[in-house]
Amino acid sequence: MASILTLRLSPSSYQRLIQPNLTGLRRAELGFDSCRLNLRNDQRKAKKFVIRLALSGDSDKQDKSIQDIVFVNTRNTLVKFRESVCSRPHIFVTKRTSTSYVAVGICVVTMFLVIVMRVYKSRISRPSRPGSVADLVRRGQLRSDRRGISSTLKYEDPFNNPMVKISMTNSTVEMCGKVYRLAPVTLTREQQNVHIKRRSRAYQWKRPTIFLKEGDAVPSDVDPDTIRWIPANHPFATTVSDIDEDMAQTNVYQKHGVPFRIKAEHEALQKKLESLQNDQKFSKLTIDAGNAKNFERPFRTQLKPDDQVEEKLSNGPSRHTQSDCTRNSLGSNTNTDDIQHT
Amino acid sequence: MISLLTHSNPLSYLPHSSPTPSISPFFTHTKTLKPSKLKSLKINSILQYNRKPELAGDTPRVVVITSGKGGVGKTTTTANIGLSLARLGFSVVAIDADVGLRNLDLLLGLESRVNYTVVEVLNGDCRLDQALVRDKRFSNFELLCISKPRSKLPMGFGGKALVWLVDALKDREEGCPDFILIDCPAGIDAGFITAITPANEAVLVTTPDITALRDADRVIGLLECDGIRDIKMMVNRVRTDMIKGEDMMSVLDVQEMLGLALLGVIPEDSEVIRSTNRGFPLVLNKPPTLAGLAFEQAAWRLVEQDSMKAVMVEEEPKKRGFFSFFGG
Repeated sequence: MASILTLRLSPSSYQRLIQPNLTGLRRAELGFDSCRLNLRNDQRKAKKFVIRLALSGDSDKQDKSIQDIVFVNTRNTLVKFRESVCSRPHIFVTKRTSTSYVAVGICVVTMFLVIVMRVYKSRISRPSRPGSVADLVRRGQLRSDRRGISSTLKYEDPFNNPMVKISMTNSTVEMCGKVYRLAPVTLTREQQNVHIKRRSRAYQWKRPTIFLKEGDAVPSDVDPDTIRWIPANHPFATTVSDIDEDMAQTNVYQKHGVPFRIKAEHEALQKKLESLQNDQKFSKLTIDAGNAKNFERPFRTQLKPDDQVEEKLSNGPSRHTQSDCTRNSLGSNTNTDDIQHT
Repeated sequence: MISLLTHSNPLSYLPHSSPTPSISPFFTHTKTLKPSKLKSLKINSILQYNRKPELAGDTPRVVVITSGKGGVGKTTTTANIGLSLARLGFSVVAIDADVGLRNLDLLLGLESRVNYTVVEVLNGDCRLDQALVRDKRFSNFELLCISKPRSKLPMGFGGKALVWLVDALKDREEGCPDFILIDCPAGIDAGFITAITPANEAVLVTTPDITALRDADRVIGLLECDGIRDIKMMVNRVRTDMIKGEDMMSVLDVQEMLGLALLGVIPEDSEVIRSTNRGFPLVLNKPPTLAGLAFEQAAWRLVEQDSMKAVMVEEEPKKRGFFSFFGG
């Protein structure tokens, strides 16, 4: 198992690495069979005060204790440390630069920026993923639950619309967060006149004033250019007019009162009723409660004939008398009993 | 996109100078109008959010929004411009002139409130004010549909009916609306003729692709033949990234081909689909989206009969500060 023994005493303290530096033995066994500590001496990137102490390698391996590892807390044991340095052959590497802090900071900031950028990009690209449901909803292809969220703009809005901004140079316009470049329109009056002349030569047309179906005769006083011939199987068009033009014009201009057709129908019904009233049969038409009851009776007897018979029997002659009265008042020969049985 | 003022605006607070007319011969068939060639020109762009727009022209201004090609964003433009105008304080009536395939009510979220249409008004089943569907968000915005789906309107009758409608709207008790926007159906069929009949100005919506441009050119020709001279265009679904890679025509290329003043440039925005499905127009989104801001600016220019003097060409990397890395 290879590992690096790096012991950090404190954030501000030094980092020491003590390595057994035997001539033939580059490995210090720390007393554990399963855990052998491989101490590398190539700690070139150490950014703190690093001491690499080459332990004198005795040939006997019995003294494998870790007491050789000495942690020196600089100031207190500086003198002692110097002595040990001078007395023993060891490699002493000191690397301490102020630029290393800057480099670490730049790395951290760069990493942070990369993360932020990735998150930002993913957030931007998320709704515009083509084909997704969100995209379909956004594009209006699917109905969403957001129906009806739009509220009507207020009247003042068109006069203070923050969604449209024109740049100071009039060369671009920003609408709905997008910037568009503007180009001037160069069409002149002369060019328009050229087009008008071209079209007047190309298209000779008179607005049709009369519509005829195939087979209709052309009226003598009509310009043939103003006739529009309608195919007989046209789905909507009809040349047959059942609307009286004068009446139609009157109807369009009518502002008050009952519309013509409604009024005409009402008048027709009124006339019909009057004619019926003038008839001898209904000349004495009056409305009274008994009349209504007489007309109700057959309906009720049809529903419950047994009840009706019982009721008739129980009421007896008084009921008959009333019905006779009504019969007389009607002046007709219809008998209630006849109606019941018919 | 961004709003650019003209000289005629008295309230503009920065000096203007019109672009030099002698730049780039008109019919030079360049691959793409490179903005780098135009760097010498001064770009005049002013933020318009500092004041209210001033209504130009006589009211009601009857504007037809047309394209020729389908699917370029006519109805989306109508809904967003209409509600932008209403939010700016102008009274607006939006007419969905698409007889068979109306969709404007869906985009506005008013589909459940359309009980009567112009057909019922003509038949006398209801009055005009009953057919107008008032928006609950902005009470000065009203929707009027020509007909219900699958109903038939006599073809020669639509144009006349719309003229009567415009006249009737002028004489309303609550006052003449400032804008009548007519959402034109695709094509140049009877629906197109119906829609353009009462209009006195037009907004042509196109996308920067060659099919839409060919149809747009044809439609402009028909409009000019019909006497509508005030035509401005809106380029829809613009992608600056594709323009940068020269995979899409730039707005300046489109303008070179059609020769129309630019009312607005709408960038491609996925929020458009979302707002369409919700029945909540884009301009009401909070926070505002890119396309919503562009529609708002286009509405502003429509009010003032203004046109763009600069267009966004490509996206630039945003300049970030020193601490932007950290989210600053």
